[in-house]
Amino acid sequence: MSKNMLAFALVPLVVAAMIAGPPEVKKDAKVFPYPIHQTTLDNGLKVVSIPFDSPGIIAYYTVVRAGSRNEIEPGLSGFAHFFEHMMFRGTEKYSKDAFNNVLKSICADNNAFTNNDATVYHTLASADALETIMDVESDRFMNLKYTEEDFKTEAGAILGEYNKNYSSPFLSIFEKLYDNAYQHHTYKHTTMGFLKDIQDMPNQYEYSLKFFDRWYRPEYCTILVVGDVKHDKFVTLAKKYYGGWKRGNYVLEVPQEPPQTQEKYFELKWKAQTLPILAIGYHGPAFSDKHIDMPAIDLLSQYVFSQQSELFRKLVIEEQAVEFVQGSQGDSRDPGMFNIFTRIKDPKNIDMVKNEIFAAIEKAKTTPISAKQLADIKSFLKYSYAMGQDNANSIANSIAHYISMTGDPESVNRVYALYDKVTPEDLLMVANKYFGANNRTIVLLTQEGAN
Amino acid sequence: MKSLTLGIIVGILLSTIAVAKTPIKVTEIRSQNSPLITFRIILRAGSINDWKGKEGINALTAFMIAQGGTKDLKYQEVVATMYPWAANVNVQPENEITTFVGHVHRDHLDAFYKLFSDLLLNPRFDLDDFTRNKDLMLSYLEKNLRGTDDENLGKEAFLISMFKDHPYGTAGATVQGLKSTTLDDVKAYYKQMYTTGRIWIGIAGGYPATLVTKMKNDFGKLPEGKFEPVPLPEPANIEGLEIDFVQKPARGTAISMGHPLPITRKDKDFYALMVANSYLGEHRTFNGVLMNRLRGDRGLNYGDYSYIERFTGGTSGTTFPNVNTPLRQQYFSVWLRPVQPENAHFAVRAAIYELDKFVEKGLSQEDFEATRKFVTNYSKLWAQTLDRRLGYKMDSEFYGTEYFIDRIEKELKTLKVSDVNAAIKKYIDPKNMKVAMVANDAQDLMEKMVKNEPSPITYASPVSERILEEDKTITVLPLGINKSKSRVVPVGELFENESPGKVLERKETEKYK
Repeated sequence: MSKNMLAFALVPLVVAAMIAGPPEVKKDAKVFPYPIHQTTLDNGLKVVSIPFDSPGIIAYYTVVRAGSRNEIEPGLSGFAHFFEHMMFRGTEKYSKDAFNNVLKSICADNNAFTNNDATVYHTLASADALETIMDVESDRFMNLKYTEEDFKTEAGAILGEYNKNYSSPFLSIFEKLYDNAYQHHTYKHTTMGFLKDIQDMPNQYEYSLKFFDRWYRPEYCTILVVGDVKHDKFVTLAKKYYGGWKRGNYVLEVPQEPPQTQEKYFELKWKAQTLPILAIGYHGPAFSDKHIDMPAIDLLSQYVFSQQSELFRKLVIEEQAVEFVQGSQGDSRDPGMFNIFTRIKDPKNIDMVKNEIFAAIEKAKTTPISAKQLADIKSFLKYSYAMGQDNANSIANSIAHYISMTGDPESVNRVYALYDKVTPEDLLMVANKYFGANNRTIVLLTQEGAN
Repeated sequence: MKSLTLGIIVGILLSTIAVAKTPIKVTEIRSQNSPLITFRIILRAGSINDWKGKEGINALTAFMIAQGGTKDLKYQEVVATMYPWAANVNVQPENEITTFVGHVHRDHLDAFYKLFSDLLLNPRFDLDDFTRNKDLMLSYLEKNLRGTDDENLGKEAFLISMFKDHPYGTAGATVQGLKSTTLDDVKAYYKQMYTTGRIWIGIAGGYPATLVTKMKNDFGKLPEGKFEPVPLPEPANIEGLEIDFVQKPARGTAISMGHPLPITRKDKDFYALMVANSYLGEHRTFNGVLMNRLRGDRGLNYGDYSYIERFTGGTSGTTFPNVNTPLRQQYFSVWLRPVQPENAHFAVRAAIYELDKFVEKGLSQEDFEATRKFVTNYSKLWAQTLDRRLGYKMDSEFYGTEYFIDRIEKELKTLKVSDVNAAIKKYIDPKNMKVAMVANDAQDLMEKMVKNEPSPITYASPVSERILEEDKTITVLPLGINKSKSRVVPVGELFENESPGKVLERKETEKYK
């Protein structure tokens, strides 16, 4: 059976690294228990190391704080992600094949991903390969070189990735939701980019060079190592391999998004088989490790939409009207979207389900959460985080996320400290502040020809 | 996410032990430094044990346990109890085994174990939970696989076709099998299968030693039973390329292909083939020939990989496969991620072209040395956590071999390039494979392919002379498609009924009905 069958599917969660394992969960302690060493080089490159008792293994991450948010020119969406692909196309010193051969020789697991706010390159390898990794990584970040032919060939792989993703209706839903919820801000397009822009990518070689020149600069980047590493040695190597990297001078101005003033509603038809999927997006706050709004939103998400919520119990378990219902807001540098998704078992129940969701939100605006529920949610968040931090790669992945948000890995501790401070009144406040009807965009996807 | 009752049973680990009549098999990795505990409780039964006409009963029963209640607590109460601990219970029903996985921080171990063991030993089997779980399984087959996930659709279509008339020949369930399964059937299946002979306890992490004794005692109270594996027939012979063209609305064309393999991790040749396969198509890396020639040189799609055993997972968040998916009969497969429809014929030809070269030429000494070193060390990354080590350890015991990661190192140390190239020739057969292609224009594609029409490709930009020269051969490469065994399959027919041939244990199930 395909694992996907299991909505229940096995999350490849974690258990303890062979020697150290994840942290103990102590009240009032920092959620991230490992020391974080930071140095900034003269050229602006941040160098972060986190010693972790992994047996001879390191996770090496490069966080470029440029994602689809940075794609401000019309017709050129999707370039941050495209560039992630181009970064594997080689340099004069290490051709594509030579780069791959080096990675193979150090037996590395190497890949990358892009989101709204960052592009992250990651390598998992043995600790004694650190200098080799830094040699090839610094080389491609400073000296990437590819031909127009390579560029056009890789555009085919991008279209292939789009085609792969397109067989899920969620890509179409996301595209419709974000394109309409945002008027000006670059979160209007998905990380993949608008399809018409993807199809035009082969013609944008010159722009790709400009994109590299703007963003692949030391002041936008952090190199991060988690595992068997000594910070002094890492900094020395960073100076050796990245010291010659020159700062850029491009200043980004992301268009500001005006407040949404009326509810928006869209319907999509799906040619293949599917149950109806309802998506409701509200404009929410930006990530912050100082203000309470975003942490409060995270707790509100658990309160209203998690598996222990009243809404889940009613719609999923008692009435069995939906397969799942979930609502949350991912972190983002600029104000993002709180998205609710549900898959409805019978098209006749679409309105009923929608109204139940709205009713749950309205209740959250007026009824304070109980002390026990709030404590349970805080406990869940803390244990959830701790249980995920059991190997070098998971830790690096988590810290890379906070670096992409603020540039500072210590944000993780500040955010979890804020979680502890969230009060019932904070939940009422964010429920009233962000969950108005005029602030939402609804997308309903149904099967073409189905009743 | 599930949860568990507070206030549980202090001293649970010290309780008096009654010795079970049938010893319960236990695999453990105890590490006092770890504050996390993983349970992997394997039921030595899977979809191969499904009753005739009730295909999916094994998985449905498993979900009724993992996503249901206990005698004391309703499902919602289970969920609410476990929530503050961020503990979780999942289940992975596979062909041969079904694995229940629990994760918990040791702060909540006692209470969690009480709940987790109750789910398995005292399941509630509520009608409401039955309806919910059955609906989810049906929806997965009828809606999700048929309509919203072309890559997994292609993989399942390939497997069903290759294992037609074989116990592996369903996607874990069928629509009609599920529809005919009742709650009483599930209760009877539980009674039949959840016995001392089939339960296998796995545990890893920072638990007290007394817990294992306690678990053996608790699970020893299950009914007595003996594990008898379902005999597996030889998979059917494949003659030429036998292609299922799955018709559905689709932007790209997803492609899976391959053939059965007579070796598994227990066999020496498996390790020779492992090096060969890494060279050909290591999952989600740029090491493989297929990835470099199809995506790297030609931009045909997002990825191209090959496998010499069942491989699930490894697509989001991690590169590495799920553990606890063992099979006694394995298979070789090639996964071409969706290509533009106009390039689908070319893509199959390009893959076969590379496979032909792979079989004919094998690896050079240099390729062999580089790949052997890579596999030896890369495999160590697969088992970074105690959870995964436990999974690999149990899989090794399933196959009757030493710990897999250690055996890789040992076997590869003495391997020679001649062993690898001999294994390729012995086991990989590009001329005789099952293929599944998920296509928007299945009929048209089939007609073009069976006629062996040329399949020229146009590129967005000039490519090298080497590629153009190869393309001349690839464009007209005869594929040897077996016309009588190739067909268009409307997607609505897939997963509807079982492929016949599952016989054995169903007879003994009759007495429960």
